[in-house]
Amino acid sequence: MENNEKFKLQVTELATRVNGEVEESFGVLVLKVNAPYIIETLTAAKQFADGPCDFLHDLCGMDLVDHFEVVYQLTSLRGSQSLRVKAIVNRENPVVDSVTRIWQGANYLEREAFDMFGIIFKGHPNLKRIYMWDDFEGYPLRKDYVTEPIELRNITRTRIEGE
Amino acid sequence: MDVTLEKRLRDDEALMDKNFVVTNLDSLLNWARGHSFWPVTLGLACCAIEMMATGGPRYDISRFGWEVFRASPRQADVMIVAGTCTRKMAPLLRRIYDQMPEPKWVIAMGSCANAGGPFVDSYSMMAGVDKVVPVDVYIPGCPPRPESLLYGLLQLQYKVSNPAKVRLMKHGK
Repeated sequence: MENNEKFKLQVTELATRVNGEVEESFGVLVLKVNAPYIIETLTAAKQFADGPCDFLHDLCGMDLVDHFEVVYQLTSLRGSQSLRVKAIVNRENPVVDSVTRIWQGANYLEREAFDMFGIIFKGHPNLKRIYMWDDFEGYPLRKDYVTEPIELRNITRTRIEGE
Repeated sequence: MDVTLEKRLRDDEALMDKNFVVTNLDSLLNWARGHSFWPVTLGLACCAIEMMATGGPRYDISRFGWEVFRASPRQADVMIVAGTCTRKMAPLLRRIYDQMPEPKWVIAMGSCANAGGPFVDSYSMMAGVDKVVPVDVYIPGCPPRPESLLYGLLQLQYKVSNPAKVRLMKHGK
């Protein structure tokens, strides 16, 4: 319990530094920051003195109609602490810094978020579609995406070599 | 009864006593094909698990002589499309079908391969593999139980062994 308090103190201290908000949801601390602060936040979270959150458990995009969010689930292999960081991304210009420099494993996860939501990760080494084919138009998990009619979907596409 | 027919039947009977069977080459080949399908393992989704279960000891597909699942389409003659075929996969499915030597047949296993199943309205779904390859047998179910797959293969065996009868049932001529 004492550890928990210490951990929470660290997170709130970080939140004031990066201009973010802390809330608690089902026992997990959620830290919301604006997109430009995300590298600073995650670097600091990785290097917490008490209970570093040094493992990127998951990364995904979210569409909240008026803005996007990129959600980083952080845990650690050295302790039970966990932290959820949300980066608020502008909908008109969805750009956020890539965290592949901090965690190599974010590579595919960021490609997925790009594929499904069209969020552009600046500094990503290979930002292209991962699930959908290269010439697919639109971002299917956005709320305003309209699925193509069945007549269009029934046409067998020709494969691009090396896809 | 016709005298000539009776004579022929009697001749056949005499031959059978000597362990002889007379048939034409086509029926013999069709009989052989129907009793030794070599399916290509085209497991795309959860139906593949049922296909594997069919190949396992409990359902034991080898009772019927179809157990030789090939990893290469060049050695196979039946394609069991087991699972969800996405639009990204469709050209590859067609390529695998084209690589199989004649004669070849296709079984669409499960609702997804039949008509899109629960994903029919999805952005990435090829609703029914019959838009890409000609399908001989459709097996409904989500996923179909191994018994269904065995029944489907038996239907295909019937179709292969009796092409004229199946044509009559389907087209009436």
